[in-house]
Amino acid sequence: MEFAMRLPALAAGAALLLAVAGDGAGPAPKAPPAPAIEAGASRCGTGRVPLRPGPQVLPLRNDGGTSTNVTLIDPRTGAIYAELEGMGPGTVRSLRVTLGPGSYAFRCAQDGPGDPVTGPVTRITGTGGGGTPGIVPVSENDLYASARAYQTYVSTGLGRLVARTDALRSAVDDGDLGAARAAWTPAHLAYERLGAAYGTFGDFDGRIDGRPAGLPGGVHDAGFTGFHRVEYGLWHGESASSLAGATDRLARDVRALRSAWPDERVEPADLPLRAHEILENTLQFQLTGEADQGSGTTLRTAAANLEGTRELVDLLRPLLRPRYAGLAGVDASMDRMAALLKGRSSVGALSRADRERLNGAAGELLERLAPIATICAPRRRPQGAE
Amino acid sequence: MTPSDRRSFLRGALAAGVAGAVTGPSAARAAGAVTGSPADRATVRSFHGPHQAGILEPPRRRTAVVAFDVIATGRGELTELFRTLTDRARALTAGGAPVEAGISAPPADSGVLGPDLPGGGLMMTVGVGASLFDDRYGLASRKPPGLTPMRTFPNDALDPAWCHGDLSVQLSADEEDTVVHALRDVARHTRGALQVRWKINGFAGPPRPSGTPRNLMGFKDGIANPDAADAREMSRLVWAAPGTTGHGRDAPEPAWTAGGSYAVIRLIRMLVEFWDRVGLTEQEQMFGRARDTGAPLDGNHELDEPRYAEDPIGKVIPLTSHIRLANPRTPQAADSRILRRSFNYDRGVDAVGNLDMGLIFTCYQQDVARQFEAVQTRLSDEPLTDYIRPFGGGYFFALPGVRDAADFYARALLS
Repeated sequence: MEFAMRLPALAAGAALLLAVAGDGAGPAPKAPPAPAIEAGASRCGTGRVPLRPGPQVLPLRNDGGTSTNVTLIDPRTGAIYAELEGMGPGTVRSLRVTLGPGSYAFRCAQDGPGDPVTGPVTRITGTGGGGTPGIVPVSENDLYASARAYQTYVSTGLGRLVARTDALRSAVDDGDLGAARAAWTPAHLAYERLGAAYGTFGDFDGRIDGRPAGLPGGVHDAGFTGFHRVEYGLWHGESASSLAGATDRLARDVRALRSAWPDERVEPADLPLRAHEILENTLQFQLTGEADQGSGTTLRTAAANLEGTRELVDLLRPLLRPRYAGLAGVDASMDRMAALLKGRSSVGALSRADRERLNGAAGELLERLAPIATICAPRRRPQGAE
Repeated sequence: MTPSDRRSFLRGALAAGVAGAVTGPSAARAAGAVTGSPADRATVRSFHGPHQAGILEPPRRRTAVVAFDVIATGRGELTELFRTLTDRARALTAGGAPVEAGISAPPADSGVLGPDLPGGGLMMTVGVGASLFDDRYGLASRKPPGLTPMRTFPNDALDPAWCHGDLSVQLSADEEDTVVHALRDVARHTRGALQVRWKINGFAGPPRPSGTPRNLMGFKDGIANPDAADAREMSRLVWAAPGTTGHGRDAPEPAWTAGGSYAVIRLIRMLVEFWDRVGLTEQEQMFGRARDTGAPLDGNHELDEPRYAEDPIGKVIPLTSHIRLANPRTPQAADSRILRRSFNYDRGVDAVGNLDMGLIFTCYQQDVARQFEAVQTRLSDEPLTDYIRPFGGGYFFALPGVRDAADFYARALLS
């Protein structure tokens, strides 16, 4: 069955290659195609391009009739050294790797029902190190437990958020703006601790935590809603009666999010991305002070975002421990940033030296978090790899 | 955080084995990756040597001058910072293929210069400011005695945001993308240890039509430089002289400074709209040179020596002209000469709609007090001061060169 499926695909690929070769051929004999490693499943990893120690550019050609994912793996462990995803049929692409001592084989996963195929094994011997590191891939299955735990973390946090937003609404409804200002920050931090970034909460995030950027009317735009809208009013002399509508809407949006959340599916693939994306936003909007609408609390927001990041890293930790040598550095950087944020609230109150230290700590932490996204991106785990 | 944690980031960088180019210039050549005109290649020098690149070499077409504040904690992290800077400078100037990260990390290189770094086109010059020798790193006793914070001169309008810094890094190349690529690389590898304090981009024009390039006042700038190819002159005027005392001080230069040089960087806005409304004769008398040829007003060619002795009251070259005050060509003034390495800058518009452009004045010398400050003091209140506003810069000590693969910037200072 499988064999039969592959035959027409092969034939189609051959026809395509022939068509390309015939296209524009002049009177001079056409030079043979440059040597390349086959990336289609039928002849995976074969070709007249030897692997050698050190940096190299490997040409790969998909001779199959459908797109293919190619990885260079250690066949003993299944660790991936390099990958090319979604190579179209008939295309040639290059794969850049630096090879240290080890065992290498190509693995070709042709789109379609067939199993991935592992090509011939090349052993590189020697004492030199410093090659592209091999990482045992993380599967979507591996991430499910983390995704479920994150779902629970958010559910718990949403309960707290609803209670605190209700308290904020009550204070405004009572006309007590002092109490409302005191209630705003804890409610907002309850949201910021959830680790919302880049669509985790879909449209809810814009409604609950949107900034005036991108709204033609700025802070006076009817589309400016949520925590920052309420913040603007509370710290710019707006009356309680004028603010009541915005506060009520915030409380309702927060409740709507809590109701919707149990039906939301946390994409396992998103978790590793959030590890650095939450703090990318923090650097962009909180450490710059841009998000501030008068409360002067962007550094408390940053601390809450860091808590959310720490939760994510902890959830991914079992997957990271055997795969990421820099994990201790991540922890050290998170501690360092947390210490610099402790007791801080407004960016404007920082000395130049303190601000530089904080910016540097955040930048360093981001560099260390970024590899988590590439290491833990869900990949198909090779079958039959021991 | 422990030093070893930091080390894993700064040296192991971003992920295991992503420390950068390892293949060196020969691999880059083999891959046909070395680019640039034959003239460029003629000036390419090895990264290793007793002096840093960017001092004796003629200025490239593009530069970025960046002052950093060091936020590393303690002497160990500071040492790691200098090792990282050295690794990056070595890799960036040698060129080659960066180590591929595979799926272990995002790409190690920004890709701005293509998959293989061309190398050969970049010069990186690293200096340390007086503030690095405060109580943070235990270096107070090792401070070169002539290294002070930049003085405020009478005609200055200094903006603190554009002054001083713990560290200076100048990146020069003939192409802007080479400079930008290098700066991104250096910043990425040092985020937890350095923060940019101020940064300015500059350019050097080609000869117009010949000889020394012009500044944005239209005059040739840097004609009377000492000869950088004359090693004896350089050891008298440019390189630090360990064991000797300097101008107006008793403390001798420490041994670690051998091969280094004092750098003075002055960011000087030129009021170009005002300047363009000044008659040519007045412009030329302010400089003491003809605008079209660069010749002194008593000569025919830019390299002609002005004959001040024959013009004692300044009938031809006014006594207050820039070139006459800066270098009176007397035996007494001979040891105050400086090696100028300036660039033009162009960075936007001011509040009244005037263009903000001018000069990144940079000079190297053996002794700032004896040389730059003496020259600057002679220039105080020269007529040209009405047309310029020095707004920033700093004094730095350009570190000794990195001698070999085991050496690193500031090794002699730190050990």
